[in-house]
Amino acid sequence: MISARNPMQPGGWGRALETTGAWLLALLWILPLAYAFWTAFHPPEFSTRFELLAPLTLQNFANAWAAAPFARYFINTMVLVALILAAQLVLCTLAAYAFARYNFFGRDVLFMLVLVQLMVMPDVLIVENYRSMAALDLTDTILAIGLPYMASAFGIFLLRQTFKTVPRELDDAARVEGASSLQVLWKVYVPLARPVYVAFGLVSVSHHWNNFLWPLIVTNSVNSRPLTVGLQVFSSTDQGIDWSIITAATLMTSGPLLVAFLLFQRQFVQSFMRAGIR
Amino acid sequence: MSAIRLHDVTKAWGTARAVDGVSFEAAAGGFAVLLGPSGCGKSTTLRLIAGLETVSAGRVLIGGTDVTELPPARRGIAMVFQSYALFPHLSVAENILFGLKVRGVPATERGERLRSTADLLGLSALLERKPSQLSGGQQQRVALGRAIIARAPVCLMDEPLSNLDAQLRHDMRREIRALQRKLGITMVYVTHDQTEAMSMADQVVLMNNGRIEQNATPAELYARPATAFAARFVGTPPMNVVSLPAITGEGLLLGLRPEHIRLGTEGVAATVATVEYLGADSIVACRVGETLLNARLPGRATFATGAAVRLAWDRDHTHLFNAADGRRVEPASAPATLAA
Amino acid sequence: MNRASAHIHGWLLLLPAAVLLAAFTHFPAFATLWHSFLSTPKGARPAVWVGLDNYQGMLEDPVFWQVLGNNLWFALGTIPASIALALLMAVWVNGKLAGRGFLRMAYFTPTVLPMIAVANIWLFFYTPTYGLLEQVTGTLGLPSHNWLGSQSTALACLIVVTIWKEAGFFMIFYLAALQSISPSLAEAAAIEGAGRWYYFRRVLFPLLMPTTLFVLVNAVINSFRLVDHIVVMTRGGPDNASALLLFYIYEVAFKYWDSAYASALTMVLLALLGAAALLQFAFLEKRTHYQ
Ligand SMILES: Nc1ncnc2c1ncn2[C@@H]1O[C@H](COP(=O)(O)OP(=O)(O)O)[C@@H](O)[C@H]1O
Ligand SMILES: [Mg+2]
Repeated sequence: MISARNPMQPGGWGRALETTGAWLLALLWILPLAYAFWTAFHPPEFSTRFELLAPLTLQNFANAWAAAPFARYFINTMVLVALILAAQLVLCTLAAYAFARYNFFGRDVLFMLVLVQLMVMPDVLIVENYRSMAALDLTDTILAIGLPYMASAFGIFLLRQTFKTVPRELDDAARVEGASSLQVLWKVYVPLARPVYVAFGLVSVSHHWNNFLWPLIVTNSVNSRPLTVGLQVFSSTDQGIDWSIITAATLMTSGPLLVAFLLFQRQFVQSFMRAGIR
Repeated sequence: MSAIRLHDVTKAWGTARAVDGVSFEAAAGGFAVLLGPSGCGKSTTLRLIAGLETVSAGRVLIGGTDVTELPPARRGIAMVFQSYALFPHLSVAENILFGLKVRGVPATERGERLRSTADLLGLSALLERKPSQLSGGQQQRVALGRAIIARAPVCLMDEPLSNLDAQLRHDMRREIRALQRKLGITMVYVTHDQTEAMSMADQVVLMNNGRIEQNATPAELYARPATAFAARFVGTPPMNVVSLPAITGEGLLLGLRPEHIRLGTEGVAATVATVEYLGADSIVACRVGETLLNARLPGRATFATGAAVRLAWDRDHTHLFNAADGRRVEPASAPATLAA
Repeated sequence: MNRASAHIHGWLLLLPAAVLLAAFTHFPAFATLWHSFLSTPKGARPAVWVGLDNYQGMLEDPVFWQVLGNNLWFALGTIPASIALALLMAVWVNGKLAGRGFLRMAYFTPTVLPMIAVANIWLFFYTPTYGLLEQVTGTLGLPSHNWLGSQSTALACLIVVTIWKEAGFFMIFYLAALQSISPSLAEAAAIEGAGRWYYFRRVLFPLLMPTTLFVLVNAVINSFRLVDHIVVMTRGGPDNASALLLFYIYEVAFKYWDSAYASALTMVLLALLGAAALLQFAFLEKRTHYQ
């Protein structure tokens, strides 16, 4: 069977060459991760010795788990991610609906003001936001980590674009049936934007699971530290040089996201694409 | 000028055969139309000629040369796509000149050819615009310009008019036909619109399910359809192909074009089912037993629904098809009772 | 719905988001400006107006200039390389190469991992004597080198990590753009005799220009925003050789507790990001041009 041919695909030698190049780059790209896996799953004496028959072990994970309150960190991160996502979904939906379908005074100026956050992210306003959290007596709480991110300009922008593509007729039809504005939002706009919500949710969860600098600044106890900060505290203090345990801890913290990514690869990539096209 | 020949060409994706053993020849300097319903393999056939798909079996010859293994650029063809495939970031002039630049034609010659092509197509005032700043008809002309400037002996078009409105489509039909004659190009033109095919073609290749139903001139296709499918595909409204054993005997289908049926006082008894007034003429649907027959009458027909009428036609206008395989049967070998 | 109630509804829907945005984006931006004109309160001494003193101090601070320079090199080192790699990856993944599912996974994986975690892995990679890099160079007979501990290579090491982390992310944008380009353009070009490279140069690359600009702006922002790996790998050292602007702000604010100076530094960062914003707006027109 000969398949369809795209004339701009390489053929013959060029194709072999490009395939080789692509694979080499891919192997180079997963090399650090493969290295981490090797170290984490083998006893410390093999962490830099590569022997095919080196014994496999989960001891490094057990040691890491015992050496720091990772269970607590996991819980903190999950609460944080869920809190941020839930708040973002509600706030961004309402705001996007207003921007997409209401013609209110100052709308365009306000929209520009929202977009400012795409450039001036909370990530760089650490000094003043820390001052605010201190003033609100919120430092060292999960809420403090999440608050600056809850009104996401990116989410508002994304949903507004999506809502704008919803045909007016659908909106009108629902109103003729007697639905209120919020019912229309809930029954018409939200279901139609489902793929965008999934995309935004994945991007948001992976972003906040991975966020580090702001949580590092605003937390200082086990009770509120997310995984990333916990990992840093753990690996920079007592463990010193035991790489097997540090890599095990590292893989553990990225584990849930990594597993989710490997399982739902297509959805992840498509979501990032969808979120990126805007 | 180059004739195009396909020898038993097959294209399969998995087990599905989009094109199945197709052979035909398009005469040099002629206008051949690939006609057929959507999904019958017209575009695939055209793309096989262009070299955009590779054949699963068979040979393709252009101007006597076997081009089956050649890439598109070396087949001496130009192509107009249904979507026009204009480069959105290039101006009209740059789009038209794209191929000449690739092939390294000197700038002075490029300028001259651009001028004459733009004049020919009435694009001279639009050369600096981007495709997004043009109307559909203008984009169509740019695509035509890109196809003819290279002076390739063969031009392939895949439903080039399907994105235009009815009036423009009508004008462009004539224009393309005139252009093809003037430049002496061998044209292979794909359409699913039988009016377009009949009005433009020297030769119609009617396809169905990846196979050729009939390869003939428009006049022949109209006058002597080779199969019941061909009979039903051509004409507005299409030919009545019905089973009336009382007239034809068993095992045959009767084909009658609506314009060949007369309503009068003699012939087969029928009742009027509906009357559709179209301005210049009217379509009267008549019921013979359980069978409906359309008749086309000039002017405004004034029959009441349910009125009893009689249908008559000439023996010369009778077509017969084998009920089993749909093939045409010559009336000479059939019962003599066919005129009514 | 009458007009007045449309205004009120609109405002009410917007209100919750607007309050949070104002509180944690607009207010802190202005507060930063205000505090950059005050002194840092020390013990019983409250903050006082010092005018441009903080900025004056900044101009005289050699570390500031070094950090700014580092950031410039960091941007120059990461942005073109990661964009070029992203484009290459996207073209490969979009094609019909063998195993493209695996290729896409391999390229994209670094994006979903926390920077803090990958920095740990790379830290190990760069470790003196034990690290994989040392082992490779050792086998090749090259002298031992403390990659992260030496002024000449620390920043380069961070650049490599950043390229590795970001290229796959940017690939996604190119991939989305490539998939929206009609295949008949490639066919039309092929019929005209254009080769692969000609098609890339004259058609694909210009058509991807809006994406490139978008990715460029994102890359510029990231080069000022991403400092997680510095905290893990070098802590800005040795001798500030690998410190970037935001990391320096972090140190000034939360290690030396000089919040006034940190505010002045933040203003510089905001100005740089504002410039990036202007860049994007200037090119936003171009983005819509083809559509
Ligand atoms: N790239 C392809 N892969 C698989 N099947 C295809 C492909 N291109 C066309 N086909 C199938 O081949 C048949 C003929 O398609 P096509 O030539 O486009 O029809 P037409 O142009 O007459 O409408 C259709 O059933 C279509 O689904
Ligand atoms: Mg077709």
